[in-house]
Amino acid sequence: MTAKNELCKPGEYKAIDLLAVAAAREVNDGDIVFAGTGLPMLAIMLAQLTNAPNAVCIYEAGSIDGRPIDLPTSVGDARCAYQGSISAGLTESFYGQLTCGYVDLGFLGGAEIDKYGNVNTTVVGDYASPSKRFTGSGGNPDINSYARRTVFIMVQEKRRFKENVDYITSPGWRLKKWPSGEWATRKEVYGKYYQGGPEAVITNMGVFRFDEEGIMYLDTVHPGYTAEQVKDNCSFDLNISRVTGETKPPTYGEIELLYTRVDPEGIFLP
Amino acid sequence: MGKIQTITLQEAAGLIQDGDMLTFSGFTIWRRPMALVYELVRQGKKDLHLFEVNGGTHTEVLAGAGAIKIWESCWVGHELYGKLGEGVARSQVENTIIVEDYSHAHCVARLLAGAYGLPFMPTPLSMGTDILNPAYDNLKKAGLRDGSNPKIPKQKYLMYEEPFFDKGALVLVPAVNADWALIYASQVGSEGTVRVNAQTYTDPEAIKAAKKVIVIAEEIVPETYLRDDPTKNLAAPYAIDYIVELPWGAHPTGSQGYYDVDADFIRQFYAASKSKEKYDEWAQEWIFGVANHDEYLEKLGVSKLEKLKANTVLGYSTRMKRGSR
Repeated sequence: MTAKNELCKPGEYKAIDLLAVAAAREVNDGDIVFAGTGLPMLAIMLAQLTNAPNAVCIYEAGSIDGRPIDLPTSVGDARCAYQGSISAGLTESFYGQLTCGYVDLGFLGGAEIDKYGNVNTTVVGDYASPSKRFTGSGGNPDINSYARRTVFIMVQEKRRFKENVDYITSPGWRLKKWPSGEWATRKEVYGKYYQGGPEAVITNMGVFRFDEEGIMYLDTVHPGYTAEQVKDNCSFDLNISRVTGETKPPTYGEIELLYTRVDPEGIFLP
Repeated sequence: MGKIQTITLQEAAGLIQDGDMLTFSGFTIWRRPMALVYELVRQGKKDLHLFEVNGGTHTEVLAGAGAIKIWESCWVGHELYGKLGEGVARSQVENTIIVEDYSHAHCVARLLAGAYGLPFMPTPLSMGTDILNPAYDNLKKAGLRDGSNPKIPKQKYLMYEEPFFDKGALVLVPAVNADWALIYASQVGSEGTVRVNAQTYTDPEAIKAAKKVIVIAEEIVPETYLRDDPTKNLAAPYAIDYIVELPWGAHPTGSQGYYDVDADFIRQFYAASKSKEKYDEWAQEWIFGVANHDEYLEKLGVSKLEKLKANTVLGYSTRMKRGSR
């Protein structure tokens, strides 16, 4: 009989399980969380069942503090609004909640990221003649520009961790001041509207954070990987001098909750 | 605005002219006026100017048919059931449509301004991003911001130093007032009061911001029933111009309290949307190959629809298989 708080050994969990668990651990109890579709949903629901029972969730389609009993597959899902405190729309979620100042944590994804935490979900190549279009921004930049902390959950690949993203969809720590286009810090661009910014990036290989200059560094490495391997999967020169150790693997209890309470139907966790 | 007319789906689509500016109810793959969108394709509409807070399966049906000339929005895809908007993406890459990217909250602000009768709305969101890069203003590059088209603002946005509290620069985005709001709603009263269940998305703003409003209603119910609890209603009768009563009119998108998203159907459409040839085959089968909405439902079949039907207590289906377990 294994104790629920005992850590899983290598091979006893999947990469995606650790992504969800590591993300859940970023939630502080009592946080008001604005989450996107997919893994962010698993993370907030797991956090509510473990380390952050008083955290609440806002989804951009307008469900405020819902208490889903079945995992939603998108933020507009009927399931998001179940037992909600308010069921409204996007004007409420973006302006009645976000710019109103309630949101502590934004939980988001992205296709490409640079070392300043700028995220691209719009195009590959020159915007004027792109070779590929992704979905577009959605609410990613809005949530990211006004939550006090933002956590990104992403796939670790060299082509996704870039020196410069092709298009800054979502704002990082160093970005462009428009209409002039000069580079500026996030604090300069947002001025008195500054709330915070990207705090962590969680991938299938490690957990990254941002230093005093707003530059990404590797914080912990997932079990089974080395810091050098993570660096090899970045196109920019990743700072691995501040690694604090190995990412804590999931506990047996967390895995059980993920597969029996959060996603029993196997929607995001195959 | 005027007296409400109950019309047929064919008549509703017939009101839309080539080149008109449209906006829609719903959110990605929820509460989209799909039956009306199919009928627009059936009637061969073209050069449409879409402003939508976010896109979804309906956008892709129109994009695949080559019906869109301008797409102003922030997102298109099918959520978990199709990760990209292939038709819009292909059209952008091939330069056959004009895409104007805003952020989601910028789109909301534009629609809010339109709904409230104001020329613009301020927002501090998504500053510092390439959404505000002047070189990426595609309507300007196409020469369409010269003021000749009143539906296209002369500027994409303006950075503005607000003078009241000295909080610094923020973004002003221009109002949008589409020719038509094409709305799917759960219930419409016999006089025209509109109700939806659960999230309202940007449906109230879309209704108010548009010059004319067509509502595809899941059902028309006694007006007194909706007026017994006015807090649940979206719009008053005088905001609506035309009503079509059409059960399952949002399929394959979902409608809270009525039916869930048809995941398999959207997955198949998404696969077909990846090439013009496959889209045309799909459209031949599901749009041109059925004479009307009744035939479409018959083709889907009763057992399929029964699985999608929402649990009357929970508001979503508990009988369809959603994942791998």
